[in-house]
Amino acid sequence: MEFIKQFVFSFFGTIGASILFSIPRDSIIVSGTVGALGWMTYTAILGRYSSPVAGTFFGALAVGIIGELLARHLKKPATVFIIPGIIPLVPGAGMYYTMLALIEKRFLDAANIGTETLFIAVAISIGIVISSSLSRSIKRVQNKAQ
Amino acid sequence: MNEIDEKKEVKRLLILAVLAGRIMLKNGAETYRVEDMIIRICKSRKNIKYVEAFVTPTGIFVSLEHGEDVVSYLQRINTIKIDLNKINMVNDFSRQFVESDMEIEEAIEKLKKIDDIDNYNNITKFLFGGIIAAFFSLLFGGSFLDFLASFFTGIMVVIVSTKLNELGITFFINNFSGAAVASLLSILFVRIGLGANPDKIIIGSIMSLVPGVAITNAIRDTMSGDFVSGLSRGMEAIITALSIAFGVGMILKIYFKGLI
Repeated sequence: MEFIKQFVFSFFGTIGASILFSIPRDSIIVSGTVGALGWMTYTAILGRYSSPVAGTFFGALAVGIIGELLARHLKKPATVFIIPGIIPLVPGAGMYYTMLALIEKRFLDAANIGTETLFIAVAISIGIVISSSLSRSIKRVQNKAQ
Repeated sequence: MNEIDEKKEVKRLLILAVLAGRIMLKNGAETYRVEDMIIRICKSRKNIKYVEAFVTPTGIFVSLEHGEDVVSYLQRINTIKIDLNKINMVNDFSRQFVESDMEIEEAIEKLKKIDDIDNYNNITKFLFGGIIAAFFSLLFGGSFLDFLASFFTGIMVVIVSTKLNELGITFFINNFSGAAVASLLSILFVRIGLGANPDKIIIGSIMSLVPGVAITNAIRDTMSGDFVSGLSRGMEAIITALSIAFGVGMILKIYFKGLI
């Protein structure tokens, strides 16, 4: 039940983001699903290993890989799926709690949460790096084979 | 075709390529994609021996060699507004242009039409801004009342940031005000009893401001060897995140001092 709830919430959240980014109309549902799958990967890893950084990494990796595959399949730029897809993973909450700790003068907490927020952002980047460089090398190999 | 006509034609082709590049770049495409496309468009026509394009998030430089001449074009890009639909359409268009014998004038007309399309009107965008905020506050553990409060807060945040963007105000002030409005409204909503957790409402409402595009493009540019673009977009992401944090922080500080 909790899983279904999380899926639905992240699905609609991603759809909202994709409309703000003015995504093509025929890709709205697809990009919502990509975002929800990324978030589900995140929660699955988080529940098992209780590490938000690892969870975000695998979430972003999932979004990247699915996005690249769909891009090839539907003949659209990969960013159409990846940009809305990573929005649920972006550490908005981390940013908020870091700022809150700073304002309440809990500097130790601020350092802790801030570092984690930074690592989460880096984890998103690395997830996308790996998926996009994978897709590039696959493309190169395919071009050579032709 | 005589020589002068051909020269004119080459110039029109260059203008077309740069126009296509400009539309893509100012709607948030990665720089390597823009470079690829400009080169493909230029190489698809006439006997152009050599094309080189250098694109950064703030400008496009193209030069091509045709016969004895070298022609170049420089285009400055000022505002960036994210519109993935236009990127997609120009991408399709360039594929179509390269594969067919489309007249250059017709192609320029088509591009101008693409530039004028508005995929969703403002009201839809405002509504979905509310939906982002509402569902993310639920996702981070908010209650049903928080859902309602962040729906209205999210709408206000998107309205404020869109209007400021239309006035041409820098993205720092833009995000700063968006975040400030988010926290101010959340505190007020909780005070009148609509919503229980101000933190969940604020987190949901700032999700429409977070620099997702800048992060994604910074990484993708860097990975394709465009370090200048990667750095400048990375900087954009960091500054955006800071401005959001400052906006939230300012209001929270005032709140804790007991002034609201």
